[in-house]
Amino acid sequence: MLDLRLPSGWFFLIMGVILTVLGMFSGYSAPLTAANANLYSGISMLIFGGVLLWLARRAS
Amino acid sequence: MTLAYIDYLILAIYFSFVLGIGWVLKRGVSTSEDFLTSGRSVPLWITSLAFVATNLGAQELIGMCASGAKYGIMTAHFYWVGAIPAMLFVGLFMMPFYYGSKARSVPEYLKLRFDEKTRGFNAITFAIMTVFSSGISMYALGLLFQLVLGWNFTASVILSAAIVLVYTYLGGLTSAIYNEVLQFFLIVFGFAPLAILAVNKSGGWQGIVNRVPATMVHSWKYMGNAADNPMGVDTIGMLIGLGFVLSFGYWCTNFLVVQRAMAADSMAAARKTPLVGAFPKMMLPFIVIIPGIAAVALSVTAGSGYSLPLKPGGGPDYDQVLTTLMAKFYPSGLLGFGLTGLMASFMSGMAGNVTAFNTVFTYDIYQSYIRKDAPDSHYLKVGRLTTIFGTLLSIGAAYLATLYNNIMDLLQLVFGFVNAPLLATFLLGMFWKRTTGHGAFAGLLSGTAAATLTHGLTIAEGKGGWISPIHEYRSTMAQNFWIASYAFFACLLVTVVVSLATRPKAESELTALVYGLTKIPHDPTPPWYQRPWPLAIAVSIVCFGLNFLFR
Repeated sequence: MLDLRLPSGWFFLIMGVILTVLGMFSGYSAPLTAANANLYSGISMLIFGGVLLWLARRAS
Repeated sequence: MTLAYIDYLILAIYFSFVLGIGWVLKRGVSTSEDFLTSGRSVPLWITSLAFVATNLGAQELIGMCASGAKYGIMTAHFYWVGAIPAMLFVGLFMMPFYYGSKARSVPEYLKLRFDEKTRGFNAITFAIMTVFSSGISMYALGLLFQLVLGWNFTASVILSAAIVLVYTYLGGLTSAIYNEVLQFFLIVFGFAPLAILAVNKSGGWQGIVNRVPATMVHSWKYMGNAADNPMGVDTIGMLIGLGFVLSFGYWCTNFLVVQRAMAADSMAAARKTPLVGAFPKMMLPFIVIIPGIAAVALSVTAGSGYSLPLKPGGGPDYDQVLTTLMAKFYPSGLLGFGLTGLMASFMSGMAGNVTAFNTVFTYDIYQSYIRKDAPDSHYLKVGRLTTIFGTLLSIGAAYLATLYNNIMDLLQLVFGFVNAPLLATFLLGMFWKRTTGHGAFAGLLSGTAAATLTHGLTIAEGKGGWISPIHEYRSTMAQNFWIASYAFFACLLVTVVVSLATRPKAESELTALVYGLTKIPHDPTPPWYQRPWPLAIAVSIVCFGLNFLFR
């Protein structure tokens, strides 16, 4: 059966790339905060996706 | 709130992953059991996250945030007093019978343990209820997206239903469970930043404590008297009604959640599913309730730039707290991700209903009453067709809700009456071998009657009291807790009395179904910290700690 860590890992990796790039290169305006929420979320998603893919690889 | 192209792109990528998972899983489906019960082959980490995620629909997300803004941290009772003890109980004590009996569904367990009429009553009411609740949540979501994003109601309902239909049609229960886990990750990553940003903006937890009423930041301190706390409930009513009857009733007998544990690949994994799931479940209030409280703190701070959304007629519209917070704190990109999480939680909530409906309809209604001895391929086909049929019925129910809103309120009330006594039936059935089928059936009917009667005789916030109000509760929540409690005790009493007057099943027929006649497996292989009891003790310690921390 499909190892769920693979699709989840890829999904978060792609999301992480999108949000990190957005955070680095575009404005990140939100009315109430000055924090670069896209960048921080993007990086944590990259790490999470990477860990899932690494675990899936180790298991196979 | 307006979305940028990038937000739509994120939503589209999510949809393609969901459909892709269904497509890949299609290859693994060759029998009706693969399709309807995942062939009992799903690993523990997936079943335990799905166990938690299936209850985390969009309505819960929005509702918990709303309730956080309305009542404060007391809302966490639904987790730290309600869900956790019940999850420990179902894992430690009830799962050996559900999983060990080889039943394919909760109604089928009732058939094995009691008789045909008890199963029929449970299966048919459950099937109707799942269709309607999936319709009602679809209606709620359609309205929300119409209000917040200006999306067309019909378009968002049909699109999300179509996607759910495709992936459950392809991969069955496994596909629904896999997507629930993906949804769980999405919710954590999509809403944890909101909690962090909103709490930060309010000056941390201490900043919140300084600004909101004291009743909102203590979960136990004001529980002594119902008049002192915003929920209008007292300790006893809460402990019996929510802590015992309602939450045990939901987590221990509702096939929607129990089905996730029954899909596990071994008895040990089935028992540990709710125990492992309890860890993330305990932490959810920080993501779903705390932002609501922070919203109140922000709204009373001059110049914070946030105020609670208002209803057209005046008064705060708590159901919009979550989405307005997102609009204020999230930049394009993360906003799309958060909305995708909301959409995902809605879709997997619906998929949960559809798959549970499927199994109950195919095995407990179709195979039991319509066509008994067909080859398995026939039931696989019926299961697949039921997916389509169930989705269409849910869409129908959603439109019914738009037309007749008060009929839906009435239906939900009636469902509550039918569900309330179930826990007593299961407890007696599993732990007292003398319980008979006639007893169980009579108990269920009288429990439902007791619930109806309590609603007719008491009044709260203008609800109920249609017979003649002899008691008034401070809130409908308190009223619900007591309705459930009376239903439970009525069912317990009548089941015991009728059981003693009727002939019990032979003990040989009750193996693997009743405590005392079932060998509870002791699996000595895993290290001690992976066994059920140590896990349950660890959960209890953390749960006590959380209650103490926010007392």
